[in-house]
Amino acid sequence: MSALPPFANEPLVELRRAPQRTALIDALAALDASLPLRVPVWIGPDRRDGEDFTSTDPGDPSGVIATVASAAPAEVERAVDAAREGFRAWSARPAADRAAVLLRTAAVLRERRTALTALAVRECAKPWDQADADVCEAIDFLEYYARAAIDLEELAPALLQVAGERNTMAYRPRGVCAVIAPWNFPLAIALGMTAAALATGNAVVLKPAEQSPGCAFELVRALRDGGVPPQALALLPGDGEVGAALARHPRVQTIAFTGSVPVGLDILAAAAAAPSAGARHLPRVIAELGGKNCVIVDSDADLDDVVPGLIDSAFAYGGQKCSAASRVLAHEAVADTLVQRLAGAADVLVTGQADTFGTTVPPVIEESARDRVQRYAELGSRTGRVATTVPRDLPSTGWFCAPTVVSGLPSDSPVLHEEIFGPVLAVEAVRDVDAACDRVDELPFALTGGLYCRNPRTVEHVVRRSPVGNLYVNRAVTGAMVGRQPFGGNRLSGTGTKAGGPGYLLQFVEPQVITENTVRHGLVV
Amino acid sequence: MQEVGRALADALPHAARGPLRVLDDRAMEFASSDAELRAALFRFVDVVPACRTLDDLAGHLTGFLEDVDDPPPSIDAAMRMGSTRVGRAALGAAAAVGVKRMAHRFIVGADVSGARGVLRDLWRQGVASSVDLLGEATVTADEADRYAARCAAALDDLAGVYDGLDPMPLLERDAAGPTPRVNLSVKTSALTPLLRPDAPDLGRRDAAERLRPLLRQARDRGAHLHVDMESLDSREAVTDLVLSVLAEDEFREGPSAGVVLQAYLRDAPALATRLLEWCAREPRAVPLTVRLVKGAYWDHEIIEARQHGWTSPVFEQKSDSDRTFEALTRDLLAARSSGVPVRVAIASHNLRSVAHALAANDALGGHSADVEIQVLRGLGDELQHALSTTGRRVRTYCPVGDLVAGMAYLVRRLLENTSNESFLHDQVSGVPIEELLKAP
Repeated sequence: MSALPPFANEPLVELRRAPQRTALIDALAALDASLPLRVPVWIGPDRRDGEDFTSTDPGDPSGVIATVASAAPAEVERAVDAAREGFRAWSARPAADRAAVLLRTAAVLRERRTALTALAVRECAKPWDQADADVCEAIDFLEYYARAAIDLEELAPALLQVAGERNTMAYRPRGVCAVIAPWNFPLAIALGMTAAALATGNAVVLKPAEQSPGCAFELVRALRDGGVPPQALALLPGDGEVGAALARHPRVQTIAFTGSVPVGLDILAAAAAAPSAGARHLPRVIAELGGKNCVIVDSDADLDDVVPGLIDSAFAYGGQKCSAASRVLAHEAVADTLVQRLAGAADVLVTGQADTFGTTVPPVIEESARDRVQRYAELGSRTGRVATTVPRDLPSTGWFCAPTVVSGLPSDSPVLHEEIFGPVLAVEAVRDVDAACDRVDELPFALTGGLYCRNPRTVEHVVRRSPVGNLYVNRAVTGAMVGRQPFGGNRLSGTGTKAGGPGYLLQFVEPQVITENTVRHGLVV
Repeated sequence: MQEVGRALADALPHAARGPLRVLDDRAMEFASSDAELRAALFRFVDVVPACRTLDDLAGHLTGFLEDVDDPPPSIDAAMRMGSTRVGRAALGAAAAVGVKRMAHRFIVGADVSGARGVLRDLWRQGVASSVDLLGEATVTADEADRYAARCAAALDDLAGVYDGLDPMPLLERDAAGPTPRVNLSVKTSALTPLLRPDAPDLGRRDAAERLRPLLRQARDRGAHLHVDMESLDSREAVTDLVLSVLAEDEFREGPSAGVVLQAYLRDAPALATRLLEWCAREPRAVPLTVRLVKGAYWDHEIIEARQHGWTSPVFEQKSDSDRTFEALTRDLLAARSSGVPVRVAIASHNLRSVAHALAANDALGGHSADVEIQVLRGLGDELQHALSTTGRRVRTYCPVGDLVAGMAYLVRRLLENTSNESFLHDQVSGVPIEELLKAP
């Protein structure tokens, strides 16, 4: 297995070429003909179908994408039991074997690539380029963690060796890992957490977001087709209660969660609570939470670059990314021009159906999201100045929100402090870069951040002052690539882990040191 | 080919160069020799228009120069100046003057009226022009409207610029008929904020709304409108835009218009075929002009391909582009001489590529006016002189705009001028004529 070629990111589809676009449109037509998917509770070999809830097309809520069975409490129990069983055999296999399974899964995903892309377009209203990037990132996680797990097993850390003893250190899988995944990267994030746990020998119980069960089902199918033993991977669709039950289960050793701050804090609190009598481990929580991502624009920035970068960061996929730009802190010398150009650029964005090439702002995921975004946009227009104009021709069905640029807000405005997770961008004028850094520093979040500036000394200064997990200089703040921009936030934004980077797998293992006495009868043998 | 090439080489001016020009070349040579210094200088030139004060300017300059590991003595002097406020003001002022002078070599004026003298002088020397309006990127509908309005005004102003000049038959007529004096190059990316690589129709439709009035105006005034090509991300939109709009009934009788073919693209021959088929099919009174270029977005295409994991759409070896350029030159000229209504413009500073095109045209029995050589202002000045003095038809691409608007263009030209791969570099550094004229 050491003969694996070095990791390289899966190439995106070259959408600027017409035949590639046609292939995707064809895949979507084929998918539409096969809907709805039936998503079961899937524990070991047992598959229970049901019609407890559905996922729907955010652009046409009457269109059912998946009919889904919801896991009952007894099924949570059964899934964890089965996973404990599956863990024994799976964890006993060498890392290279497990890696081979993940790499076969990557091959399966490549074969099904256009269909998966189409599914993400339908179920989560991801525009084509975004859906394609989601599939590529999912493949990247498999390829990256497969290699990383082999390295973790084969390249043990060196320990001090003294005559008469042999010291070795190794990493052991922890046990059962609950993966609780979000809908906004329905393929990449769910598979990333799952692949990391599996690569290191853990068994996984996956609870996908209730908005994207179809995508999760396709992932589990691909993993099992790639060779993951059914006992080592269960699928438990359901609502928040299923996730909460899993996260509190005494036989779940690790909880990998990506989602909102309140749910993340709840999981962390539950994990930190006094272990129940008979507890046999301290649960570990790997959490990737929200952000309130700020981009600083200095007076020497090239607005020709800043505007497209901010538009992409704030409005691609309707801003529904934890990395999305939400606040701009612009030097007062350029703030007015920037607001004007941003608003004009936002006004020409296509707000439309995700399956139409050219759409930047698709419908948001669900009705409550639409209402939330509208609340913030209205608050913005009441207490600040909305610079964008509301497009007159928003589609009549679907959860559409027009992209909004707002400025002149009071400094304590919720629009400036709370995660909106939608296409709203607030711009503030600041005296200088240090004033901008102060405002960034006041926030409890620290996920991504951006800086547009061409003075190398200023760049260095802001880098030192920035608390964020991922700082982007003179580019968009979204689109982290596996192996290139290991991704994860600090402060309330997460447990400081870096998905797709070195060290991520260490959270899914327990270190063990073996010291062997090599002296016998006074001789080293 | 060798004969034509040597004749051109002999006509290149050697002695008659202004002292400022020699100074610029020295600076360019200096920059080419040290990658770190080159990077520092370009980053500086790039940021000049965004600096608010001389102090700010000097702060940037010294900031960039700090990154140069092994600075020559002149840099040390600059750094020392940068340590006091008075020194910074002087350094900033000197640097601003330097950048402005560099800009004036490549940009003929802040606007069309400012360029009047240069354009008329060129004409008197037997050199036609194509004016390109530099500007900030178009990201909003207002900006696209403003660019279109600037283009419309330029078409009017240029008519005035060329008023009352003596006729130049070589520049005003070819086998297909008269060719306009007024020639404006436009950029689709400036005509619409909606160019999307994955949705070419979106940008095409929006740009067409602003291109049509310009075409009408050019038709009514007898001007030529040339739609530039940019990166591959917009090629489909740009090609579809030009071919679909020009095929509309109202443009059957004119204006004279043109597109660009980039030889560095691996699939350039396929586009050439499409263009020639279109020319043969569409009954237009004025033939389409195809400007053949090597391509100006090479680094962009390579970087984008590497970042996305794509096969590079452009040739990675310069010699492959040069060979394709010659093959396409022959294809275009052969099509024209077999009766396809197309005008051929060859844009290059490479002596070999240009000599090849001239010789191919001669061999096909074409008149000198039947192949137009195009060069860039500031980069192709010597070649332009050699061409015009040897009775060849030459058109110089003349950017117009202020320093802020022109900076992206200026930086690209400076990079080109200091690239070790460029023909110009070889020419200046005394590579023998046999080498310069060798087949790629």
